Amino acid sequence: MKVTINQEENKYSVTLEGRVDTTNADQFQKDVAVLMEAPQPDIEIDCSAMEYTSSQGLRVFLQLQKNVTAHQGKLVLTRMQPHVKEVFDITGFSNIIKIV
Amino acid sequence: MISKRFEPILDRSSEIIEWLMSSPDMPTDMAVTLKIRLAVEEAVVNIVSYAYHDGAGYVEVSTDRSADGHTLTITLKDAGTPFNPLERPVPDLSLPADQRPIGGLGIFLCHQMMDDLSYNYIDHCNVFTMKKNL
Repeated sequence: MKVTINQEENKYSVTLEGRVDTTNADQFQKDVAVLMEAPQPDIEIDCSAMEYTSSQGLRVFLQLQKNVTAHQGKLVLTRMQPHVKEVFDITGFSNIIKIV
Repeated sequence: MISKRFEPILDRSSEIIEWLMSSPDMPTDMAVTLKIRLAVEEAVVNIVSYAYHDGAGYVEVSTDRSADGHTLTITLKDAGTPFNPLERPVPDLSLPADQRPIGGLGIFLCHQMMDDLSYNYIDHCNVFTMKKNL
């Protein structure tokens, strides 16, 4: 799992690669900590190289969405692979996090 | 059928998951395997995190493929706190983000990824079984 964040003012371009699972969900949480605290962030996460997430990863996405909403920001996940999108769909996360 | 006992289990989730996923009983289809991996991870993490207060206990895991090859059975047995995962409340998927609780999705994902789940408490052991039609 690898997170890369490029910031320009309040715009955050993020790429997430690999698997988010029980071994690295804590690291994922730390890697996106800067996004959790940002005021009015405009965040786009490129998920095209994200291979997998378990509920441990979903938890971080939900926490991120909650924080972004609380900070009047925007969060969008892009280019998600179908089998990963399926996990977001069946857990209802597609309804609470914008995925394009 | 092949089985293996892990003891103690503290911090060994990924080792247990990888052992199960490398079983010769697993299918080769990548899409199906990913679904099974998700269910396996959720089930294993639950036991490693909650079955024993100190993580010192054991889990015995096994895989089995039916004679016709069409059914994969994964069983996880522990002697920890009695816990029936099938009695977990179903998460309310319609709640908006600010009202969704963090967590509580693990067993729900097992249900979604597998075809049949069962739980028995036998001889002071939790026995959790997941089946996938292949």
